[in-house]
Amino acid sequence: MRYRLFRQPGKSLPFWLILPTILVLLLIQVYPAIYTIWLSLQEREPTGWTFVGLKNFERLFGMSAFSESIGHTIVFLVGYATITMVLGFLIALLLSRTVRFSGFFITLLFIPWIIADIIAGMVFRLLVVPDYGLLSGILQNPALFPPKGLSILTAVPPQSWFGDFPFPPAPAMSFLILASVWRALPFVTLLLLAAMQTVPHELVESSRIDGANGWQTVRFIMVPLMLPAMVVALFSLTLSGMNGVGMVFSLTGGGPGTSTQVLSYLLYTIGWDRLQFGRAAALALLIAIVNLTLITGTMRLTRVNEGNT
Amino acid sequence: MINKISRRNWNRILINGALVLVVIFAMIPIATTLIISFKTQQDITRKPPVIFPCDTETRAFDLSACRWSVEGYDRVIAPKPSDGLLGFSLTGNMLRTYLPNTILYATSASLMVVLFAGLSGYAFSRYRFRGHAVLMAAILAITGVPLLTNLLGLYQIGITLRKAQIPFYDDRFFIILVYMGFYLPLSVWIAKGFFDAIPIELEEAALIDGCTPLGVLGRITMPLALPGLAAIFLLTFVSVWNEFIAGYLLIAKNEHKPAMFGLYEFLGQNIINLQVIAAACILIAVPMVILFLFTRKSFFKAMVEGAVKG
Repeated sequence: MRYRLFRQPGKSLPFWLILPTILVLLLIQVYPAIYTIWLSLQEREPTGWTFVGLKNFERLFGMSAFSESIGHTIVFLVGYATITMVLGFLIALLLSRTVRFSGFFITLLFIPWIIADIIAGMVFRLLVVPDYGLLSGILQNPALFPPKGLSILTAVPPQSWFGDFPFPPAPAMSFLILASVWRALPFVTLLLLAAMQTVPHELVESSRIDGANGWQTVRFIMVPLMLPAMVVALFSLTLSGMNGVGMVFSLTGGGPGTSTQVLSYLLYTIGWDRLQFGRAAALALLIAIVNLTLITGTMRLTRVNEGNT
Repeated sequence: MINKISRRNWNRILINGALVLVVIFAMIPIATTLIISFKTQQDITRKPPVIFPCDTETRAFDLSACRWSVEGYDRVIAPKPSDGLLGFSLTGNMLRTYLPNTILYATSASLMVVLFAGLSGYAFSRYRFRGHAVLMAAILAITGVPLLTNLLGLYQIGITLRKAQIPFYDDRFFIILVYMGFYLPLSVWIAKGFFDAIPIELEEAALIDGCTPLGVLGRITMPLALPGLAAIFLLTFVSVWNEFIAGYLLIAKNEHKPAMFGLYEFLGQNIINLQVIAAACILIAVPMVILFLFTRKSFFKAMVEGAVKG
């Protein structure tokens, strides 16, 4: 009823208001997506593009670099998301306890988030440039890191524990995770802090009175109530970790060898280094499918939880 | 009683102390970059590296002996004397070409995003029309499509547009359009949220008083929505400023490439001139940090709004 007043002047007004947005999105988001699907089924021949069915996917799965990159991506994502979530939660817990300086701390803590991923990669690279980086003096000291000292950007990955799966990760991968955590931490902290502040104070208080210790309060009162926000944070971390490529560019360039070549960087390598666009499209499609699965899954999950509480 | 107060004080000291430690850890990479950017080449390529270039032959640290220099910044900016208004001109590619490009892309893309997201966010907030829910869901789904997987298609569009020889067209139009398309979906959701928070009674009153719907939008709603729109502008501006891969791959001519590409180029050119890389990083990052420090409330609002929706 309340919208009748707005309907009178002409039903087409909202349509015209939305039209520019729709046009831009069709050109920049929808068309490229359809084009990628088409491209993944094509192969460039001297005569032009020809339809090859699922051959691009077959070739992609046959590439050793592809299966390797999946391993690297899993190691990266698990390390990145877990460490960021745990640290973010702890820092949010600290921030929720301080009253007087929280604005000041939040502002300072947030600066890494405002710095571009490619700059963040360079900033961390400067620390470990072989021989001249400020940390290299310590890391490359043979006395501290036997037998030859540790040069993060050139050290070969350690012997894997699980056959082809790249765990434990190469020093460069651990460092990439560290740099990524540094940049993502502010965002997650703020998100969790906002959620933490919606937990009713009386609930925490009464659990204290009932004899719960600090850990039990966090585990049984705060975490369940914050679950939707934690899912959102985890999901945006996974997405940003999966699709972010700038830091790999500026920190390691995928190296040493292929030890930091995650899927997003592999996409760039296949597409723009080797110019195998069909295969790159197949990979892009796979990444997009994982993204969409994650999004729908998260939306389901948070909705279910909202229904419960 | 005394015991209790002192325990509470202890807690406060511990918490603040822990936070100070966290802040210090967060600041270390930035601080080291700042230090490196002011070092001389001799101090950069020393083995083993020293943190502060302040040691003398007899003492490890002597404040009066510090060898600070602006060599790095000098090589990024490359000022040369000229007959211009200032008596010198800045000849470094970073400041002459890449940074103006970035400012152009970030400003125009954010303005367009604010305009388009404002209009459609208003429509989504105030009208219920056929396909309302479907369109909103579709835009939310698009939010999750990363720029990365669309790059192949965008690359192809870029080539086609370049070949079409449209008069006055160059890659700059295209990259602005790409940034718009990429940051619009989330902005539409954020804008809708901000419009939802404005009481509809205000608009109804204006309509009854004889204002046209567009007049209501321009005179009542937009001024009230201004803080929200400013937040969208800031968020888009920083995102475009910091974006690397699209600017790197979708622009053909070097003279149209943005500052992030310039930085990447520096990385390849200065293998051991770490002070030059550091200085370039500082020069490109500082405007965003300053912008953030002055507008952080706006940022947090847009971010939380966007995170909850996205």
